[in-house]
Amino acid sequence: MSQIPDQLKHDSAGRNERRSRKSNSFAVICLLISGLVIVILVTLLTTILTKGAGSLNWNFLTSVHVENQPELSGIWQALVGSMVICLICGLFALPVGIGTAIYLEEFKPKQRTMRRFQGLVQLNINNLAGIPSIVYGILGVTAFVYMFGLFDRIQVNQIPEYEMGAEYFYQVNTISNRRQGIQGRFVSFPAKDPSQPTFEINEPIEVTDGGGQSFMLNVIADDLPMPTDPELLERTVRRGTVASRFARYQASHFHLPLGKSILAAGLTLALVILPIIIIASQEAIRAVPNSLREAAFGMGATRWQVVRGTVLPSALPGIMTGAILSMSRAVGEAAPIIAVMGGILGTTRGLSNLMDASPVLPVTIYKWSSHQNVAYENLAAGAIIVLLVFLLLMNSVAIWIRYHFERKQGAF
Amino acid sequence: MAGMNVESNPQELILSEFRLRSPGAARFHQSLVVTVLIGCALISILTTIGTIVMLIYESSGFFLNEQIEIGKFLTDTRWTIGQTQGEIRYGIWPLLSGTFRITGIALLFALPTGLITAIYLSEYAPKKVRAVLKPALEVLAGIPTVVLGFFAVTFLTPYLLAPLGDFKPFNAASAGIAVGILCLPLVTSLAEDALQAVPRSLREGAYGLGSTRFEVTIKVVLPAALSGIVSAFLLALARAVGETMVVALAAGSTPTFTLDPREPSQTMTGFIVETINSESVVPGTLSYYSIYAVAAVLFLITMLITIIGQIIRNRYREVYQ
Repeated sequence: MSQIPDQLKHDSAGRNERRSRKSNSFAVICLLISGLVIVILVTLLTTILTKGAGSLNWNFLTSVHVENQPELSGIWQALVGSMVICLICGLFALPVGIGTAIYLEEFKPKQRTMRRFQGLVQLNINNLAGIPSIVYGILGVTAFVYMFGLFDRIQVNQIPEYEMGAEYFYQVNTISNRRQGIQGRFVSFPAKDPSQPTFEINEPIEVTDGGGQSFMLNVIADDLPMPTDPELLERTVRRGTVASRFARYQASHFHLPLGKSILAAGLTLALVILPIIIIASQEAIRAVPNSLREAAFGMGATRWQVVRGTVLPSALPGIMTGAILSMSRAVGEAAPIIAVMGGILGTTRGLSNLMDASPVLPVTIYKWSSHQNVAYENLAAGAIIVLLVFLLLMNSVAIWIRYHFERKQGAF
Repeated sequence: MAGMNVESNPQELILSEFRLRSPGAARFHQSLVVTVLIGCALISILTTIGTIVMLIYESSGFFLNEQIEIGKFLTDTRWTIGQTQGEIRYGIWPLLSGTFRITGIALLFALPTGLITAIYLSEYAPKKVRAVLKPALEVLAGIPTVVLGFFAVTFLTPYLLAPLGDFKPFNAASAGIAVGILCLPLVTSLAEDALQAVPRSLREGAYGLGSTRFEVTIKVVLPAALSGIVSAFLLALARAVGETMVVALAAGSTPTFTLDPREPSQTMTGFIVETINSESVVPGTLSYYSIYAVAAVLFLITMLITIIGQIIRNRYREVYQ
């Protein structure tokens, strides 16, 4: 009789020991596998730093991509492009996103049809968050670049149907004469009918030269000898010379459809981050205690007054944090931008208005890493460092806002 | 400091900010505001409608083309659109299998690792480890995908995979692992949320019966959080299927129909970004419409995964609320 409890005790002691050993070894396995996250992060950052640190210098930051001259290439346009696109995206996505969140959280309607509508919007937002960004990119191409074909497509040598902020000129080179050492110079005159890509000069016309001087262009027939006076020669073209069209764009330049422009790309990115902003703002609004709303209602405020005066100010830090985090997602996004603007590395003019295309950092990184010239790989790593620093700055602002306002809100 | 003073007293702020006006005017003002807000909400609906209409309309340009038979699209095992010469073959399978090959490798890496990390964070981790692990995961989650693509090409393929076998410069394995790294923080944070949502009382009950921590985790917490974990897995799946930049950089641009992870494998997303980026593809051509056909397939797949994930998550919410 006394043996059985003994054996039981012995057995259960052994079993317990095994069980606790199992538990402890599982903890160790867990720790090791979790450590993988740190290993991955460290490897990733080390790879980038060792490859990219060498290419970081002032020249890299301030110059533009030069084909097949990696040592001269830089990221200036991409950096500007990324900032501008982030701004456009925020200007559009923030008001719309916060507005939607307010509507969903604070204006719960009583009628059944409107309740159904809200339910639909909510379901739709959750689904939108799951759509791959490249599909948004294609949507951007269709809806913004070509605008569903509602307007004539912008083709080479054809000016858009609806356009403002653009002036068209024709440009022609005057007669040059090497023997006399006379170089032709470019003169231009405003286009009366800009839809024609070229203009045949048959009679004298008032033109402006590069220095801004205006004079009448002298036109001579084919069979006549050239004037001997060099002064006059400089102002002369043969009859039938073809001038070609060029445009000067103002900063307000705008056309429909939007074409492969930074505005189209920014709007597309806004669609990408819209669901994220809405969800983050909803959470921030939900976190505002009900007592605040009730106090404001008690003072006779309408629902909108409650929202504007009470809910929004106290939800703002949360909303801003979410907004900045989703905008940093937009800054790192490459696929929709490649779809909308094309994978460009640099433009000759730079970014002068919203209708220009521009390189951005993630696209530059993509193009440089897949460049045939392997030397661009190190530049890609350098651009990655700049991008990560940019994102780090944005995230620090978000953390600062959260920290700063959490302390303040603790006060009341 | 004066500003601080005002803001620390919000009631005062509210009263000073509002002009007093008649209730009628305030109601009118509010109805205007609500109209604007509904307009904002409509934009998200319009986005969805726009996407669906666009995919149907433009991909009909592909499916209704006289060169195209839908049967071949669904069964043929070669895809040659986007290549310059040879006959046109348009079976979706190479792209589809490319997507699922890379997704498979990614999930094979991300799901176990992410789940175990989540278990560790939720059930075991002391504060000090947590203080390192959580920010590390957040940093990893914030890294742009194009950077992970770069990492796959410049580190994973030459240093990790090349010693293991005959891996091509662009291969499914490196892209898969990089996509896995991308999904890892997502899986971890969602699975951790699911584990934390399991009520304390369940754990306490199990401890009270003499269970070890391992037993509590595996036999009580994990089953209770299962639906949340499954929905986390599905979200990771949708993310991996839709990932573009990593595969565009690391997986190569040859659509292949094979199971070999050493071979290049173009995915649906890879095909879209490659084709839309090439200068020769202009509206109206077959290559142009094929972008929309592939995008429609991609959209259907991710939509299906998201909806299943939502159904599972809603069920799990009901259990503990």
